[in-house]
Amino acid sequence: MLRANAITKRFGRTLALDAVDFEALPGEIHALVGENGAGKTTLMNVLAGSLAADHGEAVLDGRPLQAGSPRAALAAGIAAVHQSPMLFERMTWEENLALGGFDTGAGALDLDAIAVRARALAAKLGFEMPPATATVENRSVAERVRLEVLRALSFNPRVLILDEPTSVLAPSELTAFLDLLRNLRGEGRIVVLITHKLAEAIAVADRITVLRRGRVAARTTPAETNEKKLAGLMIGEIVTQPAASATPSRSGDPVLQIENLTLDDHVGRRILDRLSFRVAAGEIVGIAGVDGNGQTELVELLAGVRHPSSGKITVLDGSPGSMAVIPQNRDLDGLILDMRLWENLVLARPLREQVTSHGWLNTSHAVDLCRELIDRFRIRAPGPETIAGALSGGNRQRLEVARAIASRPRVIVAHNICRGLDLAATAEVHRTILDFSTGGGAVLLISSDLDELLAICGRLLIISRGKIRETNPGERDPERLGLLMAGARD
Amino acid sequence: MLEAFLTSAITMATPILLAALGELIVEESGVINIGIEGAMVAGAFVALAIAYFSGSIALGLTGAIAAGVAINAIFAILVVNLAVNQVVTGTAVSILALGLTGVFYRKLFGVTGMAFMVKPIAKIPLGPLARIPLLGQVLFDHNGLVYFTFILVPALWYVIARTRYGLRLRACGERPEAADALGLGVIAIRWQALIVSGALTGLAGAFLTLAYANTFVENISAGRGFVALSVVIVGRWNSWGLAAASVLFGAAMALQFGLQALGTVVPYQLFLALPYALTLVVLAGFGGQAAAPSALGEPYRRQ
Amino acid sequence: MLSSIAKPFAALALAAALISIVLAALGASPVGVFAALGEGAFGNWYACVDTVVKSTPLVFTGLAVSLAFSGALWNIGADGQLTIGAIAAGAIGPHLGNFPHAIAIAIILAAGSLGGALWGGVAGWLRARRDVNEVIGTIMLNFVAVQALSWVVHGPLMEPSRAYPTSSPIARAAQLEFYFAPSRINLGMLLAVVLAAACYLLLFRTGAGFELRAMGRNRRAATFFGIRIPALTFWAMTLSGALAGLGGAVQISAISHRLYEKLSPGWGFEAIAVALVARLNPLGIIPAAVLFGALDNGSQAMQRTQGISPELVQVIQGLVILIILAFDTPAWSGLREQIFGAPPDAAAVPPVAEMPDA
Repeated sequence: MLRANAITKRFGRTLALDAVDFEALPGEIHALVGENGAGKTTLMNVLAGSLAADHGEAVLDGRPLQAGSPRAALAAGIAAVHQSPMLFERMTWEENLALGGFDTGAGALDLDAIAVRARALAAKLGFEMPPATATVENRSVAERVRLEVLRALSFNPRVLILDEPTSVLAPSELTAFLDLLRNLRGEGRIVVLITHKLAEAIAVADRITVLRRGRVAARTTPAETNEKKLAGLMIGEIVTQPAASATPSRSGDPVLQIENLTLDDHVGRRILDRLSFRVAAGEIVGIAGVDGNGQTELVELLAGVRHPSSGKITVLDGSPGSMAVIPQNRDLDGLILDMRLWENLVLARPLREQVTSHGWLNTSHAVDLCRELIDRFRIRAPGPETIAGALSGGNRQRLEVARAIASRPRVIVAHNICRGLDLAATAEVHRTILDFSTGGGAVLLISSDLDELLAICGRLLIISRGKIRETNPGERDPERLGLLMAGARD
Repeated sequence: MLEAFLTSAITMATPILLAALGELIVEESGVINIGIEGAMVAGAFVALAIAYFSGSIALGLTGAIAAGVAINAIFAILVVNLAVNQVVTGTAVSILALGLTGVFYRKLFGVTGMAFMVKPIAKIPLGPLARIPLLGQVLFDHNGLVYFTFILVPALWYVIARTRYGLRLRACGERPEAADALGLGVIAIRWQALIVSGALTGLAGAFLTLAYANTFVENISAGRGFVALSVVIVGRWNSWGLAAASVLFGAAMALQFGLQALGTVVPYQLFLALPYALTLVVLAGFGGQAAAPSALGEPYRRQ
Repeated sequence: MLSSIAKPFAALALAAALISIVLAALGASPVGVFAALGEGAFGNWYACVDTVVKSTPLVFTGLAVSLAFSGALWNIGADGQLTIGAIAAGAIGPHLGNFPHAIAIAIILAAGSLGGALWGGVAGWLRARRDVNEVIGTIMLNFVAVQALSWVVHGPLMEPSRAYPTSSPIARAAQLEFYFAPSRINLGMLLAVVLAAACYLLLFRTGAGFELRAMGRNRRAATFFGIRIPALTFWAMTLSGALAGLGGAVQISAISHRLYEKLSPGWGFEAIAVALVARLNPLGIIPAAVLFGALDNGSQAMQRTQGISPELVQVIQGLVILIILAFDTPAWSGLREQIFGAPPDAAAVPPVAEMPDA
């Protein structure tokens, strides 16, 4: 039996896991569900030894696991298939697998023998292997997932943890994969399946644990629940009544126009597929979707960090600087934590231009501007000279919002803008956004938080697998929307 | 004439290749060590000092290995354990080692400028092979270090490309997070690479004082450590490529003496500049960096 | 202000401690050595002036390095850039005899800047357009520059009698003269100070400087906000090279008056220590350069009276850089947290290099 007792893990100021208890039995498929940011991957990393918890311990069959040692975890019989790729791109697949358990460790390295053993196991599982000595680089995503699963299984593990393995599989491959999991269960292993695909969880799991914001929200079984309920538990308190302040879309003039926006990655996979929509002045349009369906790339395209493979982004009636983007990863992309508040402020080109004349940066002007914004947006900071890293998460977010608004854009694009904020801070940010749109600005809110979207968006779009679909105006059933977000077919 | 030139090319190539092979191991593990020059000079000096005072070449070589390892260890602590900027650290280690050897050299041997000579490492002509016309003298009439280097090329190729250890090594240089997740122990492997490399680079330095110049002068390494860096790049991170590049650059260095003597129109400096210019061309033009290990040069820390 | 000086001082103190150990191992007296260094550098008026003379090239190269480092561009090639600048100055210098003094000076210095700018620009272009690691690029260009210098003094620029491998002396008009002879105080020093101020203004009071610093601290965020990284890279490296090249021209114009091999005793590398001690702040470059210039100057006296070779200064340089880097590593914040507990507002972002507060 695999147990996690009171696991707590902090990253800086963020509490990723808060005294989480978890248990999985042999001969069981245990699904771990939750939104991104709920803590599933962190929990997996603790169990697999990649991460050492701050408090608490993991125990397998009564023996505590050595924290922070992947080697110890593997030796104890825990193998993990991670969500982000852990393959060595430029090595051949045989070499990749050789670093797993197929290698006997004795005598010279025999890649051929390893390949034979791998193919045997793959055949048993119904996998196809890539051609001999092919490097991993150009294989498809599905093949990579299979290789990683194969490598994990080569350790003959007691426990197999899989983090979102099916998100890249085609429906045809899905059935086979779920059967594979059932086979593993039949062999008496412990299978932990991390997923946000509720249909799969219900279809294949024996028990389901729901994580939300670093805590266990519920423990249940497929018999006792259904997708709707799970969606609700995952997403949290459902606001059944949209707040009165949600304005129905005023049809002002379109400000942001996206036409057939398409993005393919360097291997040729389609990340965004012919997106077309527009946002009008005074409108708050929401794009709802679980993380990983193309939102990050869409934001990068809008910010100009990436270029689309085809399609157009137009900001009508405005100069290039008239779109302010608030990225999801505020600490990495949105702010320079080593710099002061006023310096972070002038990162935004329109603001920088405001305080610069003939190339000269008017520092005192910038500092004054910063002070003004600190007051206006009630950012809790000692002053404009404070280093951004010293601010709490909420205040950093206030700074980013302040910066976006102060640049006087025509459009604000915000990605998961309230992630990690408490209710009060969230309400404040929402108020600001609403004021902005009431004043005639256009807002595109990309979020995985349905409450937020339902609370303030006029129009709602759903993004799934790189495609956008409009929802019916007035379609406000959060449970149904949650299902659409989680990938259910119409 | 040709014989002398080719032999000289091999002699010039050896220390460069030795150091380059060491750097290859390190770079395969994902670290770039610009401090090769420092380890080389340290090895050169310690080899000479010990050989001179003890009369034993063997002891001198041992000392050179220890010196190279010590210099690399300083680098390793900063770069592998503390995950500090690799290039600035390497530069600083080079400066430090160059300074230390200079200071100790003057203290031990005085400022008189008199060259303290040692007997060179004995040449070991390989019997009948050495009697082959042209090739015999060029390839089979050298000292033990040269033969060691010859053998190292295929040996290292085999270890890196075909053994379990080589696989683990390359995994660290390809994606250290994944390597750690598989329990391979990136920090330990990088340390091992730096220690082995320190030994080889120390030996390369020893070659300079014990076999080539038979004495120690200021700037004896003359940038060979950086040429070794170039060799790894131009040789495309492949032992055989390294050997070819080393011989090419060794020949260019050998050529400069010939040209100086002949006083030709072609400036000999062109040949001395060749390794460096070629490196830039390769990097700029032929996707040079693409052949490097993916995680080369990125500081890595376990979360 | 105090905290920003604390770190370099601590680093210097630690370096001094380690050096003392080395000296003791050599059988020399640490106190004696440091005293000799101080005496040689500041013991009398002439020594002080010479210290300033020796500091001048370090200001130019130090500015070059700190500017590039501020943008996370690791310019290890200041030596090469200085050399090419010197070559340009030494090439044009002999022909400036008929120009008025001020014009000749302007031309020779401009030539030096352009030469250095070219050398820095090549490395910058290679990085911006071909993704060639600028460390490798600048190091390789260093060696090419050394060979170029060797070639010109043995060849095209060799002095007419062909007796020595040096170039023809530059015209009188192009020489920065000395004031208060026999001291070697010259306008080059003033120029260095003015440039330091200018670099400070550029880095902290212009939009371009801001963009450079932003790129240096967080490239991703910089890209997100529309800062054009390739162009910035190219121009930063070009300017950096120009500063180093100008230093080379000043050396030629004021001190050496002609080209010869091994022009730079490693100023480009010493500049790294200078830049780190100054914490990349152009104003801090001046005292840092004087410190290392003092060490260079004092080392000769040290050799005479204590029998320790001047290479000790290189040991100091290397140690100082290593110590400063070690102090700045993010690994320490992890250790600090273990000992003292996580601070309430910890930000999990590793610093690029220690940056100045300005």
